[in-house]
Amino acid sequence: MSELRLSSIETRGVPGKKRYAMVIDLRRCIGCDGCMTACKAEYDVPLGVWRTWVPYRVVGTYPNVRKQFLPRLCNHCDDPPCVRSCPVGATYKVEDGGFVLQHYDRCIGCKACMASCPYNARFLLPKDRSYTEITGVVDKCTFCHHRVIQGMSPACVQTCIGRARIFGDLNDPNSEVARLVATLPTQVLRPEEGTKPNVFYIGADRNLTEHGRAVYNPPEVLERDRQAFDNHKA
Amino acid sequence: MLKMNRRTFIKVSGGTAAAVATAPSLLKAMEVELGGKDFSPVTYGERQAIPITCHVCNIQDGAIAFVENGRIVKLEGNPEHVSTRGRLCAKGNAGMWYSYDPDRILYPLKRVGARGEGKWKRITWDEALTEVAQKLDAAIKEDPNSIMLKFGRQRSGGALDRFMHTLGSATIVNHTSVCESSKKIGMEPTWGPDIETPDFANAKYILNFGSNIMEAAYFHNPYSQRIVEGTAENKAKLVTFDVRLSNTAGRSDEWIPVFPGTDGAVALAIGHVILRDDLQDSDFINTWTNVKVEELKTHYQQFTPEWASKLSGVPVETIERIAREFATTKPATTYTYRGPAKHLYGSYNEKACMMLPIMTGNIEVRGGYCMPRGMGWPQPQPEPPKPAKPSYLAHPDEYPLAGHKVSHLTPFWIAEGKQKINVYFSYQDNAVYTNPGAQAVWGKLYRDEKLIPFYVSMSPFMGEETALADIILPDCPYLERWEPESMPNSLWPWLGIRQPVIKPLGEARENRVMLRDIIHKLDADGSRGMKQYWNFKDGEDHMRHHFDNVPGLKEVGGLDFLKKHGVWPIYGKLDPATGKIVDKTGREIKADYGLHKKEIPEADMAGATIEANGAIMKNGKAVGVQRNGKNYVGFPTGNRLINVRVDQWAEYGFNPMPTFKRIPWHETMKDDEMIMTTYKINVHKQSRTAAVKWLAEIMHSNPVWMNTLTGNKIGVKTGDLVRVESAVGHLVTKAYVFEGIHPKVVAIPTAFGHWEYGRLATLKLKEKGGAFGAQDDPDLKNVWWTDNGVHPNAIIPVVADPIGGSQGWYDTVVKVTKAGPNDKYGDVQGNWEKHLEAFKETLRYAYTGDLHRKMHPEMAAWGGPESVKHKPAGGH
Repeated sequence: MSELRLSSIETRGVPGKKRYAMVIDLRRCIGCDGCMTACKAEYDVPLGVWRTWVPYRVVGTYPNVRKQFLPRLCNHCDDPPCVRSCPVGATYKVEDGGFVLQHYDRCIGCKACMASCPYNARFLLPKDRSYTEITGVVDKCTFCHHRVIQGMSPACVQTCIGRARIFGDLNDPNSEVARLVATLPTQVLRPEEGTKPNVFYIGADRNLTEHGRAVYNPPEVLERDRQAFDNHKA
Repeated sequence: MLKMNRRTFIKVSGGTAAAVATAPSLLKAMEVELGGKDFSPVTYGERQAIPITCHVCNIQDGAIAFVENGRIVKLEGNPEHVSTRGRLCAKGNAGMWYSYDPDRILYPLKRVGARGEGKWKRITWDEALTEVAQKLDAAIKEDPNSIMLKFGRQRSGGALDRFMHTLGSATIVNHTSVCESSKKIGMEPTWGPDIETPDFANAKYILNFGSNIMEAAYFHNPYSQRIVEGTAENKAKLVTFDVRLSNTAGRSDEWIPVFPGTDGAVALAIGHVILRDDLQDSDFINTWTNVKVEELKTHYQQFTPEWASKLSGVPVETIERIAREFATTKPATTYTYRGPAKHLYGSYNEKACMMLPIMTGNIEVRGGYCMPRGMGWPQPQPEPPKPAKPSYLAHPDEYPLAGHKVSHLTPFWIAEGKQKINVYFSYQDNAVYTNPGAQAVWGKLYRDEKLIPFYVSMSPFMGEETALADIILPDCPYLERWEPESMPNSLWPWLGIRQPVIKPLGEARENRVMLRDIIHKLDADGSRGMKQYWNFKDGEDHMRHHFDNVPGLKEVGGLDFLKKHGVWPIYGKLDPATGKIVDKTGREIKADYGLHKKEIPEADMAGATIEANGAIMKNGKAVGVQRNGKNYVGFPTGNRLINVRVDQWAEYGFNPMPTFKRIPWHETMKDDEMIMTTYKINVHKQSRTAAVKWLAEIMHSNPVWMNTLTGNKIGVKTGDLVRVESAVGHLVTKAYVFEGIHPKVVAIPTAFGHWEYGRLATLKLKEKGGAFGAQDDPDLKNVWWTDNGVHPNAIIPVVADPIGGSQGWYDTVVKVTKAGPNDKYGDVQGNWEKHLEAFKETLRYAYTGDLHRKMHPEMAAWGGPESVKHKPAGGH
């Protein structure tokens, strides 16, 4: 039974248990940002916060310049610091599937989970939303739990133009994610944190995956631009 | 707060286990379905799915709208759609905000202050229609052509033409000259269609001239999917020529920066190397074109890599290498969009690029450069006759080859009195924002009540143009209307439909219905003969007239099939394992190649004669071409061949062979001068997405890009204010200094710096929402950005390609300096008099102008404009 477990027990290789993972093939990402707006629509995500986002950077010297995108979302870690740090058990890991989810009616909005997440994947919902009534609590990517349990892919995977996002059960050796992780070199973000992420990248530049903490700030690029450009406000 | 408690959650999870247990385990497959269904994350209830065709931009992706509690909450790709295969871009995913824009206009409005003052009175539909009909009545009596309709994006399937023809007016003006018209004119006389459909997925080499296909362009979503398949799965090499590092250039195997407007020279030099080294497909050239290999070799001798390198800045070795790679890697294709075409002689540039797949025989082959595959639908009968009298604005005399019109010169021609206007309609157009000169030119036109005595805007939004109207008729955004669709955005033809997902909000009426209502008002009893052309109950009824008799579709249910599936035919099923459409055996469906090599059925050859050159003639028209004893249909041109030599161009003193003309004012540029280009980004379209909150959130301002070298030279770093000055005006904006742009180029994207288009676009969020009847969006209280950018069009002068009529968007010479003490961020100034001078200057390049001969010394034998004066104006 998939009763909720307030535990960080990892589901790697546990027979009969699913361990959902996402593989993001950066060779195929065109930076269209389709995933960002698909996610906003799926959850009525308010302005200013993101469940998934696509930072980019320009590398090289003219004329040898390239653009790199790094789609980001919750890593649904096997050892999630957010679950450990939540004082009221509002954040939990679903054993069958590995989803790291949020219990909105338990959350007290203390932000301990936000502070503990090395990926800045969590945010506090503002008090105004277009039509959803859940506000003032911490929210995050759910791996589209409500779709996946109906046999559907997450919304970002569904709309991905480059088919860069692949989703499936890592415990199933026949799944596409299992095959990709087994046969291609993959990277995870901030492996040194020991979080055991379930989002794997193919072709990620080391400059993107092994940077200091600041690079993972959600509005990384936006923030820098905002600061630079705010200097001229009238 | 939350509606779901712990107990209900467990219940849902329990149900889940059963659902998962029955799911089949596919080898190597993404074992989750890729779409077609959606569920509420709060209640876990299934959302209602209605198939539509997306219309945020003009790609026409197959889509599904999901409805929950009567509200459109989610959009996604239609997994049954052969072309877009269940996926949508960022814009398509955000399209519901057209319907729910809190500043949307939901009832008819009448101006009460001065034009553009922003004072409106709500009126009833009957009052609005009565006033419009009265003005139309008077205009028809004077001259039907004094009724003008200008549209931007229209997918009415013939309704707009029907409306104007019913009124007897030929003054129908589109927007194509600010879009890609010279690309079309570069291609049409050569091989027939106005666009190519490259088979990117199966190509081994993709040479991209100035298209930003991974962000915008025709056809962003479906083509990006196939390019990724080509590069990631088929190991194709992608090479992009562009003046700046677009996402496409940034994701290409090679980005080759090129000086603006010189792509054509590079393409000719690549052709030179191919022909010089004998790497061409002689068989294809000799069989399918109207020139022979030797003739082509001689002609291309002049276009040396050294010559092109001097013009473009692309090293000689690079040109030589790319030429050899392109010619020896098969199959290969080129792709272009606005980069080469949006210049003074854009048509020549486009043709030069197109010559590469032609001379290497990559036409209509798997992995090559294919013709578009479209589908049509019949028009409801009866149809109004075409107006007897031509309209100058629709077919200006100076541009006889510009078959897609020269709409951006309209204000000057109206000001000159070339065509008197009594009633002006606009539909999904925003020329005041989107055209060169912007507010300085079009703003002046609309404010002048002598030139435009009565202006009706059919629009759901208070855009820059609509804000200057006399009457606003509240139109429906795409999720509330019926429209027939087809777009050649993949190698498989399809018909599609756009159907209302929700009822029109407020008093909004879809366009075809409001046009009908205007006609019915004018001709209430049918005695004027107008009403008979507008004989339908509603939008759906109109679609029945279009679709219920299409062979093949009729058998499966006609419109009812389209209402259920959104698209026809259904070629197969979307395979989650590959993301491709597969047939019953699980193999990817195959495209049909070699359209020109289809043979004419024996029965159709009766009465046909074969000419010495192989042309198959029937009733005085070439219907095919005979080669090696076989009767092929050939290409859809007058002689059924690819016309490398376009004789029609020579009649007007243009070079009929592939050629390049340098832009004269680029030759005389001073050291401190640069070229300013504009561009589109991944999350916006030209003018109509600034009020879509999720897109505005991702990008809302547009600093001017410049190279680090340039920044160092003028002492500017990222964030600094700069002044950009052209011959017709200046603007003040912020700089973004980095490595991804040609040092002689500065680039500013459009879609920003709106001064109308609602509170979000203008960031006037302290004002109350719902001024025109719409429901406010509480989420707008969360807007965190404070900069909405600067719009550059007012400082861009008009330039018209004398052949294709296209605007030379990327020809503007500017001076960029650090901003002075009196420069304020957001200053934009354009000068009407100077714009008028630019208009007069560009007319000098028309075939009737004095610079035409000077630009074409090779055409010295041409008889001059008098020799073709008898010819009627207008392509088609």
